[in-house]
Amino acid sequence: MSTKPLIKLSDITKTYFSPGGNYQALKGINLSVDPGEFVAIMGPSGSGKSTIMNIIGALDTPTTGTYKLKNKNISNYTPDQLSEIRNKEIGFIFQSFNLLPRTTVLANVEKPMVYADIPSVERKRRAMEVLKLVGLESKADNLSNHISGGQIQRVAVARALIMNPSILLADEPTGNLDSKTAYEIMDFISDLNSRGNTVILITHEDDIAEYAKRIVRLKDGLVESDTTNKQRKHAV
Amino acid sequence: MLGIVIGISSVILITSVGQGAVAYITDQLNILGASYFRIAPGQNAFSQVATSANPLTTEDAQAIQDAGINNLNLVAPLAISTATVTTKDEKTRTTIRGVPPELLEILNPKIIYGEFISDSHNQSREKVAVIGVELAEELFGQDTNPVGESVRVDTTRYRVIGVSEATNALTGNIFNSNVLIPINSLITYVTGTDELFQITVSVHDDTLLQETIDDVEFFLRDYRDIEDGEDADFFVQSFEETLTTIQTVTGLLILIVAAISAISLVVGGVGVMNIMLVTVTERTKEIGLLKAIGAKQNDILIQFLFEAITLSGVGGIIGIILGVSGAFIVSKFAGIPFVVSPISVVLAVSVSSLVGILFGLYPARRAARLSPIDALRYE
Repeated sequence: MSTKPLIKLSDITKTYFSPGGNYQALKGINLSVDPGEFVAIMGPSGSGKSTIMNIIGALDTPTTGTYKLKNKNISNYTPDQLSEIRNKEIGFIFQSFNLLPRTTVLANVEKPMVYADIPSVERKRRAMEVLKLVGLESKADNLSNHISGGQIQRVAVARALIMNPSILLADEPTGNLDSKTAYEIMDFISDLNSRGNTVILITHEDDIAEYAKRIVRLKDGLVESDTTNKQRKHAV
Repeated sequence: MLGIVIGISSVILITSVGQGAVAYITDQLNILGASYFRIAPGQNAFSQVATSANPLTTEDAQAIQDAGINNLNLVAPLAISTATVTTKDEKTRTTIRGVPPELLEILNPKIIYGEFISDSHNQSREKVAVIGVELAEELFGQDTNPVGESVRVDTTRYRVIGVSEATNALTGNIFNSNVLIPINSLITYVTGTDELFQITVSVHDDTLLQETIDDVEFFLRDYRDIEDGEDADFFVQSFEETLTTIQTVTGLLILIVAAISAISLVVGGVGVMNIMLVTVTERTKEIGLLKAIGAKQNDILIQFLFEAITLSGVGGIIGIILGVSGAFIVSKFAGIPFVVSPISVVLAVSVSSLVGILFGLYPARRAARLSPIDALRYE
């Protein structure tokens, strides 16, 4: 493993200000992730795992503390600078509403490249390549609402991979799937990790977290434990 | 969007019909050569009816004729009445016009059958009538030559000597649907007074028309003892003035329609804004997703602005189609040329796009400024 961490979170706090009283969701998180790691972030609701995922995903900025991504401090980036970071460095897989409705599978996968101003011929070539990787090249012209839940998540994975990001950030990626399909998706994500992709997985399900090599547990806005996963489920 | 459709279509409809009407009348005047004008009692065309206090009479007409005014050609006094016209089988009420033989040369109607009223008919107050082609059809049936038949005007019997047809729309009423009899006969047998409806005057050289009008007006004021600075009890109207009047009315109409359209465009714009606000709200999650995969504020702004322009543009196109077809139908029924000015179409397209931009901007900015986490979390 590289000595330089891919992600370095130092003393991250996040406070939500509201007229009804302020709420501190994160109380000083320190966390480093190296390239090629597979980290599961776990915790009950209210532990701050969604907040930390928003910050790692450059969807939000911390109240205090620094977030270095590839040694760049992005804690105080503007919304448009953060958009560019998300576009180039982070591939998202959400629990639900991953795909644009009324849009083809191909167009969904191509979308991040549109924002990166990649010419359309190149977009199509790369999108078809990634769709082949997830085994859905035959569904390229289907509308996103005409494919199954498992296929939707695989298209989401394809789109997450399209810009060749530093991090795959999966937020409860199997939450809406039956267990058989869930395990298939997790096997697929594990497979991507074994090919060198850094994966950060947010989940509250133990059997899903079992796929990760390292499990970070949060409680009340702090890191409760950070352990190597010894009984790891292996990819097929 | 309905507001935009109404706004755009009414602008196109009215400007097209208005321009068609002006084009039509200009065309008609070109046929006439605008070589004649009329003198009528009263101060203007609207007060003409109620002026028996100071009527124009055959004496005035004779005086103009004898005044030796330069460029003056023919003077045709016209009197008018309404009567019941009866034949063997039919009966109708129509306008009876007392006309001099000169009217044939001035207004140039087509004589389909027989002849027009002659000088000797007029001098000897003969009971003869020229009837309009439409009236002839009504009274005697289609394609029949009624010359030699007789008609009763109220109680007096007249011999039909001819059938006339108008050669332009300005004289359509006179020569198509009225009964024309010698003016002296009308005065003697029908009205019993020499009060005139109007005096039609033609000139030799129509480029000097205005000068002749001025001369006649000057002469008639003097003849009728009207002091300088006093309003005349008659008015002179050339058909160029009629055209100007029509253009003024059309212009005013276009202005009113423009104002109404402006209001409906604003209403339409607010409609577009509402639709876009609902769209932005409905698609909040989608906006969050687009932001998550790298859309910048401008990307979202442009996307929603484009949708707003499309929305109002579609309204504009429907409006153009409706307006143009409306104008086509109106022109067909009114018998005026079908004119669609490209300017009004270009204006309509740009105005509707502008409405889209203007009223789409606020919802689009709202979409662009959504925070990605709030948008993703939105249910």
